[in-house]
Formats: sequence, structure tokens, C-alpha cells
Amino acid sequence: MPQSVTTATAATDYLETRRHELRKMRMLMVDGNLTTNLRSTEAGISARAHHGGYWGFSALPGAASQDQVAKVVQQARSNAQAMGRFGSRSTLALPGESYVGQHSFKGKAELTAAECNERLQALHSFCKRRYPDVRSTRFLLSDEHHSKWLTTSRGGDSLSSIQRGLCYITLMSNADDGSPIELSHPLSWKGSAADGDLSPEHLAPQIDQLYQHLQAKRHAVPARGGMQTVVLAPALAGMLAHEAMGHPCEGDIVLGGAVTSGLVGQRVASDLVSMVDIAHTWAGEEALMPVYVDDEGTPARDAVLIDKGILSGFMHSRETAERLGQAPTGSARAYAPGDEPLVRMRNTVILPGTSKLQDMIAGVEDGYLLAKTGNGQADSTTEFMFSVTLAYEIKNGKLGSAIRDTTVSGSAIKVLQSVDAVSDDMHWEGGGYCGKKQVMVVAMGGPALRTRAHMGGQ
Amino acid sequence: MNLQHIAEQALAALRSEGADASQATVSTSALTELNITHSEPSLLRSTQSHRLSLVGIWDGRKASTDLSDLSPESLVAAARALRGDAAAAPQDTAHAVSSGQHTAITRGPMDADLTALADAAHDVLDFRAKATPTMNIEEGAASHTRADTQTLTSGGSHLQSTLGWYGVSVFGTARDPGPDGQMRTSSFHYTGGETEDLRGTPAHSRFGIADMMQELTRSVVTQGVADCFGGKFVGDVVLTPSAVATLLGWLQGQVGDMALISGSSMYRDKVGEVVASPLLNLASRFDAPGIAAVSGDGFVTPPLQLLQAGRLQALTPSLYGSRKTGLAHVPTASGGWELAAGTTPLVDIVRGVPRGAVVGRLSMGNPAANGDFSGIIKNSFAIDGGVVGTALSETMINGNVAQMLRDVVAVSTERIDTGGWCMPWVRVSGLHFS
Repeated sequence: MPQSVTTATAATDYLETRRHELRKMRMLMVDGNLTTNLRSTEAGISARAHHGGYWGFSALPGAASQDQVAKVVQQARSNAQAMGRFGSRSTLALPGESYVGQHSFKGKAELTAAECNERLQALHSFCKRRYPDVRSTRFLLSDEHHSKWLTTSRGGDSLSSIQRGLCYITLMSNADDGSPIELSHPLSWKGSAADGDLSPEHLAPQIDQLYQHLQAKRHAVPARGGMQTVVLAPALAGMLAHEAMGHPCEGDIVLGGAVTSGLVGQRVASDLVSMVDIAHTWAGEEALMPVYVDDEGTPARDAVLIDKGILSGFMHSRETAERLGQAPTGSARAYAPGDEPLVRMRNTVILPGTSKLQDMIAGVEDGYLLAKTGNGQADSTTEFMFSVTLAYEIKNGKLGSAIRDTTVSGSAIKVLQSVDAVSDDMHWEGGGYCGKKQVMVVAMGGPALRTRAHMGGQ
Repeated sequence: MNLQHIAEQALAALRSEGADASQATVSTSALTELNITHSEPSLLRSTQSHRLSLVGIWDGRKASTDLSDLSPESLVAAARALRGDAAAAPQDTAHAVSSGQHTAITRGPMDADLTALADAAHDVLDFRAKATPTMNIEEGAASHTRADTQTLTSGGSHLQSTLGWYGVSVFGTARDPGPDGQMRTSSFHYTGGETEDLRGTPAHSRFGIADMMQELTRSVVTQGVADCFGGKFVGDVVLTPSAVATLLGWLQGQVGDMALISGSSMYRDKVGEVVASPLLNLASRFDAPGIAAVSGDGFVTPPLQLLQAGRLQALTPSLYGSRKTGLAHVPTASGGWELAAGTTPLVDIVRGVPRGAVVGRLSMGNPAANGDFSGIIKNSFAIDGGVVGTALSETMINGNVAQMLRDVVAVSTERIDTGGWCMPWVRVSGLHFS
């Protein structure tokens, strides 16, 4: 990367260039048929310039030749200047330090397509043999690798990488009334497909459990709609952290008028709840989506969002930090070579507490254990919705019937304020995409929570 | 860049690797986009991208790859790697590529008019300042896209398209003190669409943008279902056009590859049968702005009527899905659908609802395989005695999507056209509110 082009000039107040490579593999096996067998490579060079209070951005595909770098820099500067037609604005200072360094994950050698196929076939055969009454199986194996070389006019010079692998195991059967039912189990890890242990022997306990849950869903009963006492299994707590409170704590969403904007220093959760967007390291180990430097060259640090129930801070780019008078957190991330950095979460977690999950269930007289979720959405009001694909009734402290697919919702602030127990375990999940103009690879995690929430149902 | 030449080179490379059948799609795209952030113009972007998508089949074994390096050396390497990937795949006689398909589509403005984009941004910002000052445009964009695509197959198909179109989108919330002086925030909402001509109609009058922005300002103060209706009840919903598009998206998934191949489709054996209200007529518009009437697997996509007076006219498996399931192949484009307008003015539809809600957006997970769903209704307003009242919060509806299609009791004369879809408002009866 030629350093000279990232020098701010009279035509720019700030300039960054990013060379970005994105490689993906995706294989989908439906009932032993490999319906998707895709590998993709995308590479490009982008430049973003700030001038006179406006941004200009430009991107070109391909390897970053000297000519291409000069071209995108010129175009980005020209675009920023062209925005002057909207009138003069004050220039942003864009605070924050600049990172110099390299971070990349050293995983196993990548699997060939043949090796991926062998693993999927083995899983399919295992399931067909072990669960003959399962009507259909689906296995999605995917990985993606991001490498970003960044230079900025502030002296930032870095190489960073994100690698994640995932496998979704889905079993389908028929309910007692003949209607189709299905249940998925997501697995995710750092690295490529090679870094996950996909052997049937290793996964058998998890798939057995998935099958047992699917059997329970065959006789599922409808949930009772309305406010209920619920135990959110760790998988749902991570989703709550990300969707319900994470998004409203992103600096650009705060500036957009999220309800959190006036709540810093106020109680938004039970004092049992602390929530952090981890940059790269938790409990001495590197997180699933480690971000040491963001795509503006800012050194990444943890963003404490809720500290013992009190709203403490937000996630920031350089711009949102300046506009809100806070320090940048290194949260500006771009997904693809042609994308500009936006404020995005990294590894968002609710921190573990001291209760035991079994005790939390035992303490519920009438409620639900929400065990698996398919997806979720949140709002600027912190109102959230998660689909619930696996849940059980709790009666007098004991698990009862499975319930049909439903939805849980509520105001995250009210739900977190109602938390009366937090388990001492921790579940990490890094297989999904967060959607916000661009998609993004993110991780989330949490313990089990006991609270009150609104269940969908009659 | 000569896209046809690159596609020919790619097919030649696959042929020299011994592929029995192959497909090469080369595409380039140029985007010029003016962004609005927090109700102010913020960024101008110019991006270009290109991509080569290759499919190769050897002895019934298939693999595919996408790459952005279009050099001759890269094509040769990709073809070789693809052969290796395919060798690992299981044999499947359903794999095939299209044959004898030909089309050349050229439509829309090919060059970005930066002044037109700036005017559109100005118009939306001016409308916000004058008509909806409490609404904050968190993200907005006025854009021009030019997309060139060439698809060649070893079966002699040659499909080419050159499309240009403009887009305008608005996403935001409203923030306002309520009657008690306490600052409140609405739910977010968004809308947008594509057009081949930005002239004439002001940007805020397109795609339902003005309505959406005005509704946001009226939805800062909300009530729950208990306050509005005293608790749970069974009532009707009037789905806005974007919510109707969500509903019909489920149906389209049910008649597509994944559901048909896995056997989970509720409509596998329902072609020719009434599966929805007789008021519903769903047809393609594969000539919509930004849409080329070609399928991803290399077929020309003729116009398609999916629902005729509620009767299912076709399933839409791809070539692979068709060969896998034995069902007739019905190619579809990447988008472009319209639901025919009905005969009831929207005001009369609302007037006819004793208890229920106008639903702007359904926030929910994928419905269960049998169509059961529950979801939060967002950007929604209570209807009581035929009158639209307070905005609702924390309100769920519960039902079955397949049943909802059957329970449509009115379709509006008015429609919103976003380019990719053109939909009316529809009234659906018998939803459980909680």
C-alpha cells in the first residue's frame, strides 16, 4: 500500500484507503443432495475522504495497483468536494489514536471441497442411520475470511483479519397432526471449516439432543399469549444483548434518536445485568470476532454499555464519538470491499452471574424456558422480537410440554429491569449476520436470564 | 471491458477442463449514491464492482464459484479449481444448464445525473423540514445504478442485459415530547424504491415516502393493546402494501426450490386449487426497474400469473428443482411482482373494521413450516369502530400465514408502486391480538 496517497492535503481533512479481500465457501446439503457448492473471492480497493464536513467514498474491484489506488483516492476526494453543493459545514476533528500493527488468525489449512463434502455426507449418513423417522436433513457448512490492509492520513497502518466457520444442522419431521416441523442447531467457531470438529462422533451428543427436542415438538402445545415469566437460555440472552440493547447503543443509532440517547447514567436493567461489547479478548481468551483495530485505524477497546444495571456508554466511530463528546471505541467496520465503515457491534455479551440454570427453572411456578431462537429484530425504542423455535412449559419448577414455534417480545429496558437471576454459564454464538445497511459478521453471548416478557400466542 | 468475451473465455476454460455442461455469468455494476445521515447530506459514493460466476458440471457433479479477478490467468485457474471442487461433489442427475435461451435487454438511464440525485435528496430533506420536522432521517439515499450482465451456457444460451435505474430510500424515527413533556421515540420505519425516471414526481411523493414519514410523526405516543382494547381480542388487520409484500414473500418461498425439494411446501400438490382469497391476483412484472427478465440459472422468464382469483397457477422450481422433483420448470426473475388492485377504497376498508389495526410492518421470525406465526406489529395504529386511532406498541398478532391468505376480505383500489413490487392494502380477518 503506497503510503503517500493517504496523506491529507488541502483537498482533504482526513483520508483512509483500504485493500480488502473477502473469500467465502458455502455448501448446502439437503437430504444428501449437494444443492449449493460455492466458493467466492472478492477483492477491491476503497478510499474515504473527509473534506469541509462531508465524506466522499470510492471503490474499485481487483488487486490494488498503484493506478487504482490513485484513482479511488482522487474520486473520493472529488466526491467529498462535490458535496459542497449542499452548503458549508464545519469540519470534524475525528478524534482517536491510530493503530499500527498486524493481526491474523493462524488456523488449520483450509479444507478442499472434497473434504467438506465428506464431512457433510458423514453427518447426513449418521442422521439417516440413527434417526430413521426423521423426514429430511439439511446441513449448511460455510466459512469466510476477511483481510483488510488499512492506511490512514493519521498514521494508521494495519492488517487485520476475521475468519469464521459455521455449520447449521437442521432436522425435519412431522408433528402429530401431520404438519411439518423442523429444528436447527447452529455451530460456529473461529477460523475456516477446517477448524471446526464436524465428526459425527464429536457432534453425536448435540445431534441426539436436537433429535430429542424435535421429538418433543411433535406433540407441542400452543403458548399462552401475554406477559409470562420466562427463563431465556444463554442462546437467547446473547440475542437480547445484540438486538435489543446493542443496536440502541450504537453511536449512529443514538444520534438518530434512539431512546437510549437520554438515559446515560440511569438504570436500564436490574443490577444483576452488565453488558459489554468486547473488542477482542474476554476472560483471557481471544473472542470469536476479534477486532484489534477498526476500519478507521482506531485501536479497538471494550465498550461497557451497561454496568450493574446502569447505562454507561455507547459504541463509536470517530465521527459519532466526536458528535456525542465521547471517546471512539474502534467500532467502525466495513463488511465488503465496496462498503464504508459504519458503527457495528463486535462481540456483544451479557456477563455471567452466579445462579444455576436448574435452580432458575426450579424457581418458576408457571412460565416458559425459551431454549432456541431463529432470528431477532430490535427497534430504536429497545422493543425487540425474537422468534422462538424451541421452548418448554415450566410448571411448578419442572419442565413440561414443548410449545409450538412462537415469538417473544418486549421492551429490552423493561425486560432487563425485571431480571431476577443470571446464570453462571456463558454461551457464545458467531454464526449469524447482523443487518444494518451492510451485513456484518458479529458474535454474541450470554448466560441464562430469568425475567418477564411477552409471549406470542392465543 | 468486453463482458461477452470474458464469458466466452470462461466457457472455453471450462470446456478445456472437460466440463460436460457449464455456465458463465459476467456482471459489472456502477453505483453513484448520495447519502443522507441524521437529516443532513453526508456522503457521495462512487463504486464499481465486477464479478464472474461460473458453474461447471462433470459427470453429474456440480460446483460453482464467484470471483472478481477477471484476468485470463484467473479464469484458467478458476476452471481448474472448479473441476476439483466438482469431483468432490455427489453425483446428481438433476444438475443441468439452460439451452437455447436468448434475450438482450436494454432499459433505463445509463448514466448517473448527479444533479437529479442532489435534487431528490434536497426534496426529501425539504419535505422533512416543512412537513415532518420531528422525524429524523437516520439514513437516506438517492442513487443511480448501472448493471451490465452477460450469461453464456454450453447449451448455447446467451442472455444479456444492460439496465440503469434510480433509487430513493428513507429510514428513520420520530422523536418528540409527549403530552407529559417526556421525550419519546417512535419505532423506526423505512421505505424506498426504484424508478427509471426521477423527473416529474417529487422524490418524497414516490414509493410511499411522504406517508411513511408522516405516520412516524404520529407514532411517537403509543398505547399497548390492553390500554386500547382492554386486553387480548380477535380482530382484523389492514396490511399496508409493504406488509402485504412480506405476506406474499412467504407464499413465494413455499412454491420455490427449498420448500419443494425438502418436501415442506404446503402447496406441492395444490396447483389449480384455491389456496387464497378470490380477491387475490398475483402476477409478475419482470420488467420492473432494475429487474431483468432472466433467471439465475440462465432462462428467459416470461410473464407469470401466480394467483388467479386465489387459485394457485404454478409452482416455481428452478431447472434443478424441477428435475429433482419432477415438477414443471417455471423460471422466475430476481424480483418484480404486483398484486392487482381491488375495488374498495382504503377509507372504506378501514371504516369496515370494528376492532383491529392498520399494520405498517410485521416484525417476526420465519413462520413455522406449517405457516403458524406470531409477530410484533410495528408502525401500526389501532382501529376502533372503523376509526384509526393511537399508534400501538408491544402488540403481537398471532395466526397462520396460509390461513391469512384465505382470510383476505378486502383489497384496496389504491396501490403503492416501489418498482420491485406494486401492492394494495388488504384487510385480513380473524387475527389474535395480545
